[in-house]
Amino acid sequence: MTTLTEWLRDPSPSSRAQARLGQLWLGWLRFRRNPMAMLGATIVVLLLLMAAFAPWVAPYDPITQNLAERLKPPMTGGHLMGTDEFGRDIFSRIVWGSRVTLYIVVLVAVTAPVFGMLIGTVAGYAGGWVDQVLMRITDIFLAFPKLILALALVAVLGPGIENAVLAIALTSWPPYARVARAETLTVRNSDYIAAVQLQGAGPVRIILGHVMPMCLSSVIIRVTLDMAGVILTAAGLGFLGLGAQPPMAEWGMMISSGRKFLFEQWWVATMPGLAIFIVSLGFNLLGDGLRDVLDPRSAGK
Amino acid sequence: MALIEIDNLSVHFDAGDRIVKAVQEVSLKVDARESYGLVGESGSGKSTILRAICGLAPISGGSIRIGGEPLKTPRGKGFSARVQMVFQDPYSSLHPRHTIDSTLAEPLAIHGVGDTDRRVVQALKDVALDPKFRFRYPHQLSGGQRQRVAIARALMLQPEILLLDEPTSALDASVQAETLNLLNRLRAERGLTFLMVSHDLAVIDHMCDRVLVMQHGRAVEELARADLAAARMQTDYARTLFEASADRLLDTA
Amino acid sequence: MSLLSVKNLRVTFDTESGRVEAVRGVSFDLGRERLGIVGESGSGKTMTGRSVLRLIRPPGRIEADEMTFDGIDLIRASERKMRSLRGPRIAMVMQDPKYSLNPVMKIGRQLTEGLRLRDRIGAAEARKKAIEALEAVQIRDPERVMEAWPHELSGGMGQRVMIAMMLIPNPDLLIADEPTSALDVTVQAEVLKILDDLVKTRGMGLIFISHDLRLVARFCDRVLVMYKGRVVEEIEAGNLMAAKHPYTQGLLNCLPRIGGAREPLPSLDRSGAWAEM
Repeated sequence: MTTLTEWLRDPSPSSRAQARLGQLWLGWLRFRRNPMAMLGATIVVLLLLMAAFAPWVAPYDPITQNLAERLKPPMTGGHLMGTDEFGRDIFSRIVWGSRVTLYIVVLVAVTAPVFGMLIGTVAGYAGGWVDQVLMRITDIFLAFPKLILALALVAVLGPGIENAVLAIALTSWPPYARVARAETLTVRNSDYIAAVQLQGAGPVRIILGHVMPMCLSSVIIRVTLDMAGVILTAAGLGFLGLGAQPPMAEWGMMISSGRKFLFEQWWVATMPGLAIFIVSLGFNLLGDGLRDVLDPRSAGK
Repeated sequence: MALIEIDNLSVHFDAGDRIVKAVQEVSLKVDARESYGLVGESGSGKSTILRAICGLAPISGGSIRIGGEPLKTPRGKGFSARVQMVFQDPYSSLHPRHTIDSTLAEPLAIHGVGDTDRRVVQALKDVALDPKFRFRYPHQLSGGQRQRVAIARALMLQPEILLLDEPTSALDASVQAETLNLLNRLRAERGLTFLMVSHDLAVIDHMCDRVLVMQHGRAVEELARADLAAARMQTDYARTLFEASADRLLDTA
Repeated sequence: MSLLSVKNLRVTFDTESGRVEAVRGVSFDLGRERLGIVGESGSGKTMTGRSVLRLIRPPGRIEADEMTFDGIDLIRASERKMRSLRGPRIAMVMQDPKYSLNPVMKIGRQLTEGLRLRDRIGAAEARKKAIEALEAVQIRDPERVMEAWPHELSGGMGQRVMIAMMLIPNPDLLIADEPTSALDVTVQAEVLKILDDLVKTRGMGLIFISHDLRLVARFCDRVLVMYKGRVVEEIEAGNLMAAKHPYTQGLLNCLPRIGGAREPLPSLDRSGAWAEM
């Protein structure tokens, strides 16, 4: 263990990989000293584990109905969080539902920021009319309320998880484009960009190799902070019946179905609500922590 | 024939409501293997001339020829292999997220030169940096070490001409001495041509054979090294600059 | 009695990578004279200057066996007391006027604000004092400068305004941290001359912090040469050329001179035992 830490902390790394891992290690050390960020990271890791091991974690099948056991309160008959109107174990449904939530989060996280960053860096680096056109398109997307635009898209494409993801991704890229463009504008006139231009590098190489790495940290921070919003939008679409379709376990849809019993059987809607709350909080705390680690202004000190 | 010929160069910037004339009708010639200095205070346009050569500032009038050929826009890879620049601030001229290794390997990759490993290690040795620095990030180096990396980067493509934009003004005096010595050694070894900008007359005098004094974007006076040392200047401004030069403070004290 | 007395000053920072000692036991006495502190980056010269005003933010810590200014114990003085010293008694001029002047306030208001708030002087009277101060730093049309915004001033002009602002309350001690490094050489000479005249005529104490040994030697009576947080040599400015310490000699010799030889500049030898401490 000590030799590994020493290898990571070696001020003169002997390979590219060691240099990069050493930087990650330093970032981790800084991250570790922030208890709230660690709490966020723990929540997100638990979510990942829960989704990965759902069949083993969940005590019941999330879909099989058992009308004899319907609407049992929490902690009765072996149901940790009670059962819903079809007698399905709510805890099991939340565990399985974490897969759907993660699926949405991951798909949005790999599409929207990448697209937004591409638009933003190209606009910022090229300037002139390219910038004007790309940013006005971004503005048009920004001008719509997110949920309404997502609703319209799902209404056209038909309900379903894939379409919900598409709708969320299409509505959430503009802020990334804005962030990436702002970052690009501060970077494009710097000496290190001038130096690589002088070496004869073309715009594609400069944008991908030199501008994007500088935007990456701001975008990653934004993505983690936005994840809570994505989960809520997905849940909102589910709640409105436009996301995941029954009988699939999805947290937003579970809240929606629990709405009918909110006063008598509060747990049916509350438990998935708590799950959404905790996971959103986890992503937010993680994002705040990452800001401290990745912020270019604090890096290098 | 001179290697660098600048004829009546003007550089104007459009600053919204008015036009800033950064350089006005400056002409100069630099021979191959010569070291030529541009000296002046802030706003004299000395750095702008270097930037105009590289295509980082617009040429509004006049012409620049390298080896007799007029410059193309954009400059192209042929130009990169001939002319390179070292920037003033080593803290901002190296990409903060690239290791020294990738910074030095980049020009080789752009120009499709192979044998990267050997060349990178050799480049570090040439600027007297320990190869153990190879995989460090810029923030793990001191200012002088960074400037050495910047010099190594400029030399990766084996250029003939090195444009030096105040290469030591951000460095401590002792580090400045080491960096100037390094530049002089490299020039002797590789037969480089220097076009160097500085606000410090003593540094220019130490490095250059001829000096052009500039003020407000115009050329004031060209001085050979011997004339500068003997204070044989014709214009008042060049004399003022000479008198105010920091290394003369001790003599007159 | 000396104006400022500092004994065994230490400034430490607790950082991720361990304890960093920026200043390690600096002692000096200052009368109504001009003291220069010279060193390269990281020598602790700026930290020494800022410590006198206790302007070091956490995680930095200031410790000293003694730090008294005119009989006041600067180490134990309350923050309130320190605020009343900063400005009226001890003033500081920083390197770059761009960052020291408030960009959204006209020069005139910045100059008179302190007078009006602290000394409760009327608007007309404060304006008169401000114009006098601008005249003292040889600004030719003070009326126009009073109405200017900071971005409309050149670097040299901005630094003169800063000096004027610091001098209005008539401090006993002026700490100038690289006051001319951001300026052109011809302007630099003028600003230094103004500073020098003011210090002489008003009988202030001056701590002049710079990386430039030649500059300090010319404008100070005494010079402290710092290296890695310690004073390696204290010397009368006039005897600078006869400096004994290898570091001071190295600093002097490594500078190129007009008309000097073309051979490689002597580089600073850091192999001596003094560099190890």
